[in-house]
Amino acid sequence: MGEPLRRPRPAVAALGAALRYAAAESLAAFRRNGLMSAAAVTIIMVTLLLVGGAAALSVNLRHMASILDKQVEVVAYLRDGLTPPERDRITAEVQALAGVRGVEFIGREQALARLQAALGERIALRDVIQTNPLPDSLEVAVVDPREARRIAARVAEIAGVEDVTFGAQVLDHLLTATALLRGGGAATAALLVAVALIIIMSTVRLTILGRRQEIEIMQLVGAGVWYVRSPFMLEGALQGLLATVLAALVLVPGYLLLLWRARVLLPFLPVVQAPDLLPGLVGILAAGGVLVGMTGSLLALRRFLYI
Amino acid sequence: MIHLQGVSKRYLSGLFALRDVSLFMPKGEFVFLIGPTGAGKSTLLRLLYRADTPTEGHITVGGQDIGRLPARQIPGLRRSMGVVFQDCKLLPRKTAYENVAFALQVIATPPHEIRPRALRALELVGLVDRADAFPWQLSGGEQQRVSIARALVNEPPLLLADEPTGNLDPRTSWEIIQLLSRINLRGTTLLVATHNKTIVDILRKRVVELAGGMVVRDEDYGLYASHG
Repeated sequence: MGEPLRRPRPAVAALGAALRYAAAESLAAFRRNGLMSAAAVTIIMVTLLLVGGAAALSVNLRHMASILDKQVEVVAYLRDGLTPPERDRITAEVQALAGVRGVEFIGREQALARLQAALGERIALRDVIQTNPLPDSLEVAVVDPREARRIAARVAEIAGVEDVTFGAQVLDHLLTATALLRGGGAATAALLVAVALIIIMSTVRLTILGRRQEIEIMQLVGAGVWYVRSPFMLEGALQGLLATVLAALVLVPGYLLLLWRARVLLPFLPVVQAPDLLPGLVGILAAGGVLVGMTGSLLALRRFLYI
Repeated sequence: MIHLQGVSKRYLSGLFALRDVSLFMPKGEFVFLIGPTGAGKSTLLRLLYRADTPTEGHITVGGQDIGRLPARQIPGLRRSMGVVFQDCKLLPRKTAYENVAFALQVIATPPHEIRPRALRALELVGLVDRADAFPWQLSGGEQQRVSIARALVNEPPLLLADEPTGNLDPRTSWEIIQLLSRINLRGTTLLVATHNKTIVDILRKRVVELAGGMVVRDEDYGLYASHG
């Protein structure tokens, strides 16, 4: 050992060389295992499409539910000709029910004014009807929308209440649909992720086998664990990223198209606008795709490197 | 440099590859590890470069206990030694120079240092003028010299060689061994597993003989065959 072994290293230059090496190798692997890579990318893309589509739908359903949530109330229509003390008694009784957040008395005149406001300027109600057909009513705000049904039933039992409606039926269905979507989506996605992992493991394993000699020598001369791993990790990550791009190319125009259709056909439908949803969704999918890709690579590597 | 204490290696089948081997090699020594095929020579070397772990006993290399070395510390150990094999293990699609430079690249050597150091290593084994040849364009002896250059390019204090002359004719074998002797004279500790009788008998170095996984002889200035 004649001269000193190592000069201080410009670490940045070495790191740059390592990154260039990893990038070149992972791209070469992509070319070499074309078909398997395509299969891996496709399956990740399908997974992401499913997860992304379910997420977009679920976000919209939740959005609708939250809007309906605020609107859910039990409305009690009162018998005609009640005296003010009787009204106060009924209001107090309703207020006393468990799960009731608040009660507001809406006189029939006020109800008519509201209806007029809702109809707008085009029709003047007073021109159409002479007498006010609307009853007095109590608007009952509930703490938990899912209890609306029970509270409505209790309110209906109070003397002086003629009829009760509650807006929770729609909400019930929405919440059930959201839960089903989430459960089914999660189960399917888990299955697809498992398949994706297996396929990525196979492609990366092919690359490893193809470069076994090279890897053996790298390990023999003391290449760092991550230096040996990085091209394979990058290969998996690239597969995930490419799948995300492809999935986004379907999801983004698809969502925009649906929004446009909804605006035309169901203008009153409360939808989540594209800028509020898509950037975050695509970002999360990209992270998920890359994560799945790298996990698959790591699993494949575990058996091969530095045992 | 190398210290084995009561080292045994038993495979899952129950077969002993090494049995209670103790061996001490000071820095700068040249040792021949001899014995018939299956005596445990390669297993011993594999334990030293931590491709395998001992079932029993302690191994230290360069003062470091490597018996239970965690995987992430293996690269550091390997950088402190060079390993040479009978089959050279050259990458067929890289030139002699690239094969040597590869060993520097993968241990994150700054790019501007790679070329001068790789060329110096090729010069040491006398192959600078063949730097751009691919392995298939080189003779067996030249290939082995490239693999020695690769093992030495990081200037490790220890060189392990597993049958480095196994595939070579006597004359070329002799050249390789002379090269290894020169490397030993520069201060590199050398452990050479071989069953090349001629070479062992001419060089008269320390000889450690394995048989059935046990050390049956350890003598300085030894011959291939025991005296008695």
